Amino acid sequence: MIRLQNIEKVYRTETVETLALNSISLDVPKGEFLSIMGPSGCGKSTLLNIMGLLDAPSKGGIQIDAQATGNLSDKQLAQFRNQKIGFIFQSYHLINDLKVLDNVELPLLYRSSTAKERKQLATEVLEKVGLSNRVKHFPTQLSGGQKQRVAIARAIVGRPEIILADEPTGNLDSAMGNEIMEILINLNRQEGTTIVMVTHDEQMARKTHRLVRLFDGSQVQ
Amino acid sequence: MLTHLFKLIWNKKKQNFLLIMEMLVSFLVMFAVFTLIVYYYQNYTRPRGFEFEKVWAVNYQSPQGMSDKDSIAAFNQSLKQLIKSMPQVENVSFAASNIPFSMSTHNTNVSHEKISEMAHIYAVDDEHKDVLNFNLRSGRWFSRADQGSRETAAVINADLAQKFFGNGQPIGKTIDFEGKKLKVTGVIDDIKDKGDYQGPDNNLFIRIDTSNQAWIGAILVKVKPTADAAFESRLFKSLSNVIRNSSIEIEHLADKRVTKNNLTLVPMIILLVVAGFLIINVALGLFGVLWYNISKRKGEIGLRRAVGASGGSVSKQLVTEALILSTLSLIIGLFFAVQFPLMNVFDLAADTYYIAIACAVAFIYLLVIICSLYPGRQAASIYPAVALHEE
Ligand SMILES: Nc1ncnc2c1ncn2[C@@H]1O[C@H](COP(=O)(O)OP(=O)(O)OP(=O)(O)O)[C@@H](O)[C@H]1O
Ligand SMILES: [Mg+2]
Repeated sequence: MIRLQNIEKVYRTETVETLALNSISLDVPKGEFLSIMGPSGCGKSTLLNIMGLLDAPSKGGIQIDAQATGNLSDKQLAQFRNQKIGFIFQSYHLINDLKVLDNVELPLLYRSSTAKERKQLATEVLEKVGLSNRVKHFPTQLSGGQKQRVAIARAIVGRPEIILADEPTGNLDSAMGNEIMEILINLNRQEGTTIVMVTHDEQMARKTHRLVRLFDGSQVQ
Repeated sequence: MLTHLFKLIWNKKKQNFLLIMEMLVSFLVMFAVFTLIVYYYQNYTRPRGFEFEKVWAVNYQSPQGMSDKDSIAAFNQSLKQLIKSMPQVENVSFAASNIPFSMSTHNTNVSHEKISEMAHIYAVDDEHKDVLNFNLRSGRWFSRADQGSRETAAVINADLAQKFFGNGQPIGKTIDFEGKKLKVTGVIDDIKDKGDYQGPDNNLFIRIDTSNQAWIGAILVKVKPTADAAFESRLFKSLSNVIRNSSIEIEHLADKRVTKNNLTLVPMIILLVVAGFLIINVALGLFGVLWYNISKRKGEIGLRRAVGASGGSVSKQLVTEALILSTLSLIIGLFFAVQFPLMNVFDLAADTYYIAIACAVAFIYLLVIICSLYPGRQAASIYPAVALHEE
């Protein structure tokens, strides 16, 4: 489903050059639930961003669904992200000026859908993540765990084939974390969604099919 | 999508209220500036309504010591004959001193029935129309035939005729002027005798006859193309010989026009410079506010692109949002602006205001599009991950 070939990512600032990813090659077959672990700053988020086509690698190629993405136009990339990928960010990235329901509807806004369909789908996924009673709230009126669940609802509302989750349980207590994990596992099992999850939690990682460890931008196993 | 944008705008109403106010103030300032510019431009392009080339002005006071009206009239008549007999002279007109482009003005209220209007009063003779080549719109210029009639003959300009008589017939009607009745014999096209930037005005020409020779203060001489400096000095000498007890001076209307224009140009340039600064100020102010608002939304832009918006669609969204806001503020602004033509504030023509409103609306829209397109494009051109990172 996702194939990374010799991915390298260099961040340049005025003073330093950081090699955030060093020649990463990775194959994620369809339906796999993969977890990525590694110390802080080792390049996990960077790797996920590149997989999700949110950033361009400095070197190397990405294939998604057997299609090379290097030469896609901005519009095609946007469509790709919209149709195939659901992203759960480490720091939620909700739009504070939109209510929970509107935040969740957002991916549907960029594909052909009616207002009624959008509302229905968004309400359904919010129910799934247990936030039916918070649809009219603004993100600023929610706890961290609730925000995380809104972010998950937004990622799954478009039924993407791939979900990229950057520490989806990082800010939650273990009970809430387990609940979120349940949602992801169910998605993977029932819908066959391919999931790549970054985590710091060995226990969570053990629940997935495979674990990849990163250290200083390189894959260690 | 539009519903989505309205939701977004509504949820940010506090912040957007300020933005709308900023745009409203910008619009009103631009409306004032454009009103001024349009007014000057319209005046400048208005036809002059007379010819000044080859017309010389002789400043001249009726001879003192001659108290008898008839002898003054006789003196002026012979003076006119003398000038007219010169081969380089085409025509001569005696007039009060408020000739075109002069510094002197004479205005007072004149009325017809219940309508009273402030008008420039010109005491002139029968040749005045031909010397300045006024365009007669209807009726005739006064002439010797009006000599001795009970009501003094008068000619008015089209603007004044419109105000007094509407679309009715002005010829033969009477106008009250300083307790006397004047009879309208003709209507001429509007003139710009106070300079090229003069606005529409009311003009009333009264016939000089034997009884009011004392009004005369200038002689207008229309010369032939052959008239040169040598002729001018000859004219000066002959006039000095005849008019002994008054200093005389010959000027060209063409020169007087330049002087007069320069005089009105100075305050106008000052106003336009101020207006220019205001335009720059408004542009920078609006640019700053919109730019700031959009740069604060880098994270949002990154997120929208992450969930499937293309760079183009994000730009379009930002521009549409700004256009919705500016439309709201322009609706409020228009409500205020149309009061000016509706209530006839400042006595300007309604179309001056409407053109200014159109210019101001176009200006604000253009500015808003540029100010939201550019920063939006920039924000949308970077990778979503970078935009999200910068939040
Ligand atoms: N936009 C950027 N500009 C410069 N350097 C960056 C940028 N983003 C990340 N880096 C650097 O790249 C390296 C990898 O960062 P990344 O965010 O991928 O780490 P991470 O593994 O996700 O860490 P964490 O577990 O703390 O989230 C870090 O050294 C970081 O400083
Ligand atoms: Mg990270």
